[in-house]
Amino acid sequence: MKKINSNSSILDSKSRRVFLKQIVSGGATALMIYTSGVRGGHETSRIWKQRSTEHHWAYIIDVGKCIGWGGCVRACQKENNVPEGNFRTWVERYVVTEDGVYVDSPKGGAQGFEPVNAGLKEKAKRAYFVPKMCNHCENPPCVQVCPVGATYKSPEGFVMVDHDYCLGCAYCVQACPYAARFINHEINKSDKCTWCHHRVKQGKLPACVEACPTRARKFGDLKDPESEVSQILQEGVWTVLQPAMHTGPSCFYIGLPKEVI
Amino acid sequence: MQNPSAKTHLYRMGALFIVFIVAFLAIKEWATPSSWNYEVWYRGAALIEDANKPMLYGGNDSCKTCHEEVVKETKKLKHKKLSCEGCHGPLGTHVRGEEKIADAEVINQSRWQCLNCHAELISKPPDFPQFTDEVDKHTTIEEGEGCLKCHDAHDPTP
Repeated sequence: MKKINSNSSILDSKSRRVFLKQIVSGGATALMIYTSGVRGGHETSRIWKQRSTEHHWAYIIDVGKCIGWGGCVRACQKENNVPEGNFRTWVERYVVTEDGVYVDSPKGGAQGFEPVNAGLKEKAKRAYFVPKMCNHCENPPCVQVCPVGATYKSPEGFVMVDHDYCLGCAYCVQACPYAARFINHEINKSDKCTWCHHRVKQGKLPACVEACPTRARKFGDLKDPESEVSQILQEGVWTVLQPAMHTGPSCFYIGLPKEVI
Repeated sequence: MQNPSAKTHLYRMGALFIVFIVAFLAIKEWATPSSWNYEVWYRGAALIEDANKPMLYGGNDSCKTCHEEVVKETKKLKHKKLSCEGCHGPLGTHVRGEEKIADAEVINQSRWQCLNCHAELISKPPDFPQFTDEVDKHTTIEEGEGCLKCHDAHDPTP
């Protein structure tokens, strides 16, 4: 029978102390490494790497100004070849009554809205339109779940889709808390608002911003302190959709009522 | 073979393993696009391809390049903040390169074109001009008459 060397036995109190110390320091190191990358938010997004220093784009929607025209939805559909029934951007109408909130978005608002029926009109306490689109989050859940790297956050902040690489698995469609993504039924790939990246790169505004007659939709560069978006955000009276999701959206809403999901 | 050693099967498995690993790495190298961005994890060329897509809408400034007079006139009128292309259609269907390919006249001249914005709805901001049928002068409108009979599209003040 081999003799057990008592110096290396785990039952020995000295080596037990060493063993415990190693466990604790190893665990502490692991914890530090783990927590260093975990904080989401502006400067420490795990997903938005290789940030551009030139531009940081942002989109502002002023809910009080939207008139529910729908020209923005139509402009986007034409500019980006969005098939019938899919929407990269859309307008929702909210009618708040004491019994609840009525929401509709007929054809995404593309042809405007019909009046609500008389019964609802009587009960309405307030009513408004809310334009929505992809929020180009700083911590996009859709980018996180893509199995092949077909969706990504560009250095300037655009969350984009690579249609050549996309499988059409729709995991990203499920992951988005804003329902901004969809499967384009003509090409059978995932698709979404790109903030008209191809236009912005050439110095123009997204088609929807261009179309808006009441300046409810605004787009600009936060790196430019003179830009309208920078000045509005500095006033500090803005909110985002679904803040509890901690996605860090880049679409900021002015005057967003609490009912809006 | 003479007397394979007791561990021959292990050596064979190891060799096969190495062959498969090398083959896998070679195929991965061949299949990965050259523009693949390993840090952010996407195909780098995709971003450039998207940036080069053609634009359809030109914006109001693009109308100025040929229609400077009209644009200057409308800039003084009520509808000056509107996008020209919102009613007249996008630049891309009107012009290609420097050549005009189609007219940019407003196809839909029905009342819907105006009521799309101006019909009264409870969800519209209260300071936005909205109309129902109960406007004084509108009692004399006949069926089928458009708004343009009495209003100028660029400056609809009554």
